[in-house]
Formats: sequence, C-alpha cells, structure tokens
Amino acid sequence: MTTCPRCDSTRAELVAESPVKGAWTVHTCPVCFFTWRSTEPEKITNPDKYDRSFKVNQEDIPNAIQVPAIPDRLGNR
Amino acid sequence: MAYKDFRDFLDTLQKEGQLLTIEDEVMPEPDLGSAGRAINNVSDKSPALLFTNINGYKDARVAMNVIGSWPNHALMMGMPKNTPVKEQFFEFARRWDNYPVAVERMESAPFQEVEVNENVNLFDLLPLFRLNQYDGGFYIDKACVISRDPSDPEHFGKQNVGIYRIQVKGKDRLGIQPVPQHDIAIHLRMAEERGENLPIALAIGCEPVITTMAAAPIGYDQSEYEMAGAIQGEPYKVFTLPGTNLDVPWGAEIVLEGEILAGVREFEGPFGEFTGHYSGGRSMPVIHVKRVYHRRNPIFEHLYIGMPWTETDYMVGVNTCVPMYQQLKDAFPNEIVAVNAMYTHGLVAIISTKKRYGGFAKAVGMRAMTTPHGLGYCKLVIVVDETVDPFNLPQVMWALSTKMHPAHDVVIVPDLSVLPLDPGSNPAGITHKMILDATTPVAPETRGHYSQPLDAPLATDKWETIFQDLLNR
Ligand SMILES: [Zn+2]
Repeated sequence: MTTCPRCDSTRAELVAESPVKGAWTVHTCPVCFFTWRSTEPEKITNPDKYDRSFKVNQEDIPNAIQVPAIPDRLGNR
Repeated sequence: MAYKDFRDFLDTLQKEGQLLTIEDEVMPEPDLGSAGRAINNVSDKSPALLFTNINGYKDARVAMNVIGSWPNHALMMGMPKNTPVKEQFFEFARRWDNYPVAVERMESAPFQEVEVNENVNLFDLLPLFRLNQYDGGFYIDKACVISRDPSDPEHFGKQNVGIYRIQVKGKDRLGIQPVPQHDIAIHLRMAEERGENLPIALAIGCEPVITTMAAAPIGYDQSEYEMAGAIQGEPYKVFTLPGTNLDVPWGAEIVLEGEILAGVREFEGPFGEFTGHYSGGRSMPVIHVKRVYHRRNPIFEHLYIGMPWTETDYMVGVNTCVPMYQQLKDAFPNEIVAVNAMYTHGLVAIISTKKRYGGFAKAVGMRAMTTPHGLGYCKLVIVVDETVDPFNLPQVMWALSTKMHPAHDVVIVPDLSVLPLDPGSNPAGITHKMILDATTPVAPETRGHYSQPLDAPLATDKWETIFQDLLNR
C-alpha cells in the first residue's frame, strides 16, 4: 500500500520496475491517476512536500468538468 | 523527396549536422524534459536530440525536437536547411494545391516485427517520463492518432489523423484530450451517441510529413495522408491494421491499437500546454489499449511542450498559416498576400493584404476569425499592407507603430469562441477578440500623412540574392 503524493489516497499501485534491476519503480494512483517514479525529487514523491496548489482533493474528482461532455444516446427507432 | 520512415529522416538530420546524439547516461526525470526545454532556449536553429542511454532502461532510445527548428522544418520539406521561413511558407502553399495525392497501400509494415497481444504494459514497452514537473503523469504527446467516422467508415478522407495529448494512466489505459474543435471529437460523439466504442490507433515515431499534417487544421473530409502525399511530392505509404481496418503510417516505429470507451470520462491532467500554462485537471475520455506493434529496438519520439517557443510552435507554424491563407484567398483571391499564424498556434495572427477600399482590411480580419481554425484561435488579428512581410516582426511592429490609429483601427468583437485551453478565456472557450488594422488608409479613408513612403535603394534586391547565395555555400 502506497500513498499518492498528489491526492493522498492510499491505493497507489506499483506498475513498473526498471528493466535494469534496482534502478527505480513507477507507481500510479487509481483515484487521481497521478504517476511518479521513485527517483523523482521529494517535492514530487512525498505527499507532505507536493506543491499545495497542484494537490488534488479526492472529493473534487467526480465533479471535474467533462471535455468533451458525454452526448445522449440516440433513440432506437 | 519522401522520407522512407522516421529513421531515414534522422539519418538526413545527422548528415546535415542537425542531430545531436547523447550517449551519456541521463535520468528520465528531470533530464529528458529539461533537455527538450533547453534546446529551444539556446537557438531557433537547434538540432534534434537522440538519447541512447537512459537510466534504468536497456536499449531504450528517445528522440526529441525532431522538427524543433526552422532548419529541421526546411529539411522535412526537402529544402536547404537555411531556407527563410517565408519561402518555406510559399513552397508549402504551392504543394498544398497539389492535393489530393492518392496513397500507396503496403502489404506489410516494419512495425510488425514485434506484436504484443496480451498483458500489455505500456510502462514496460515504452520509455515513458514526466515532461514538466507538475504534469499529472507520463504523456505520449507526438503520436499520430487515427480514427474513422462511425457514420461513414468507408470514407477515406473522413478518416482522421491527429495529434492529441495522451496520458498513460495504467498498464493498458490512456487518457486522451479531444477538445470540441478537434475532428476526433466529432468521431467520438457519433460513436457515443450509438453507445459504441471508437476503434483507434496511435502511431509513434513517424516520418515528419505525416506528423506535420496530423497537426494541421485541414478540412474534416480531407485526408491527412493525401495531403502528406502532396507535401512530400509522392504517394504516402500506409498499412491497414487487420484488426480495426485503420490505415496507419507504414514507417511508424510503434503502433498501439485499441478503442475509446463509450460514455467513460476519467480525471486527466494537468499538463503543461503550448499556451505556457498548465491546463487544470478535467474529466476526459479513456482508451483501452489491446495490442502493441513495434520495430525491434524502437525509437520513442516525444516532444517538449510548454512556454513558446518549443518544438510544438515550429511544428504547427507553417501548417497553420497555410490553410488559413488558402481559406482567406478563397474569399479574397486578389488581395491576400501571406498569413503568419504561428504565435501560440494562431491565437495571434498577422495577415498581409492589399485593400480595395477604406475599411477592407477590417473585413479581412473578421473573415480570419470565421475560418475553421479562426473559430478556436485568432484572438488578436493584426492586418498589415501587402508590402509588409508578416513573418518579419520588426516590420509588423513598424506597421503597428506608424499605420495604426487607436481611434479608428481597433475593433473588439465580444464573446466569440476560442479553444478552452486559452488561459484567459472566461468561461473557458469564450473570449472577446480584437482586430488591429495596421494598413495604410485608402479612400474613402483619407486620414494621416502617408504620401511619401521610403523605399529601399535601387539595387537592394540584387544584393539580397548575392548575400543569400554566399550564405548558402
Ligand atoms: Zn492520487
């Protein structure tokens, strides 16, 4: 279980390990879809040090504007 | 003069001294994004970059800044590398008129060397990395994205090749940004109205002409492949994917095949954009990748995007100017001379035109705002005389400083459409637009003292030619 530095969800998953063993790992967050590599600076990888203005509030995610909006289904006639 | 594939173009760049190979080990972050930024800070004649030793990867190669300078753009067109931008514009416009050139269909493609049908993990297959530090993830941002019109799938011209920002969100899951002005948004709307997924292919590492056409605002039913044929001067080679019947560039290094999921939106972004600002996070469509093809030891092509100028600006410079020029010429064939719409993808456009009568230049400015591209851009249109080179900004500034009268020559039209990424638009997608008429007043407008313009000494043209020849040696 890993904490997402951006939205603080604890559901982040390991998605890749470096092809050259031991160089780094990559994690991704299934809540806000943030992705990071273990070798990035702490301001990217550490939830406490991630820039506040780029933090994502989990509750805001379902309300994000749709681009493009989902159209209505055509009626079956 | 067509380039066979991506590697063929890189070879040409190498021969012309326009490719820098970096063999020292670099970190995926922050080195690759930083190098992409830095190469445009140093020069407008900068080379493409090829990284061959990236920490943690075996044999991965990343190419950046491939069309990221005027010399590279000229070489893409098969012209000498120091061809002036204005000449590249007129040559591009000349070849544009050869549209359409029918494609050449190939039986097999180099990217069929390796095919991955199950357990697709894009993080293992591609050397992905973060570009700007607060990007929401790793992006694929220079892929040719191909889709067909679901209501007219056999129509070759309505098949679209476009470039869209694509976030890698999971092993086989991508987010894509189709803003409503994009052709793919039309395809997606039709598919979603039917409740169907939209089949899609992404071709990465293509020779530069198709990438340039994919980034050009051409007509909805015009084929990017048939236009690429016109621009490169011979039929474009395509290969039809057996699974989805999508035509992809034959020479691609990597092809991802999948579908956009109907009715699904998911958080995406932010991403550092060509406007020099991060776009906020929004809910965007999702692609499920089902299959990956690639050449052995493929080259992953990527582009740095951010505060202008970057590779994006070189890439969408001439190919944005030319369609707007052609569309304005349809309306005013005897007047329009040239169009420079290469500032922030045409949010600012400069038009050089003759005038029929007083007020004419303002009409030209308004027409620019109603062209297909102008509907999403052209927030500021500067109109200059036929004698002013719109690609020469000192000349444009001269025209503004001497020809424009703020009481007569500023037109502001309220609440027009603009692409939602314009950070000044409010609400996103709506903005006032402005025309600055910097042309010389003609009758019945008679204000000002313009009867004694300076012209150049008599033999200036001759000496320009002499110097250009000397510099070309
Ligand atoms: Zn998160």
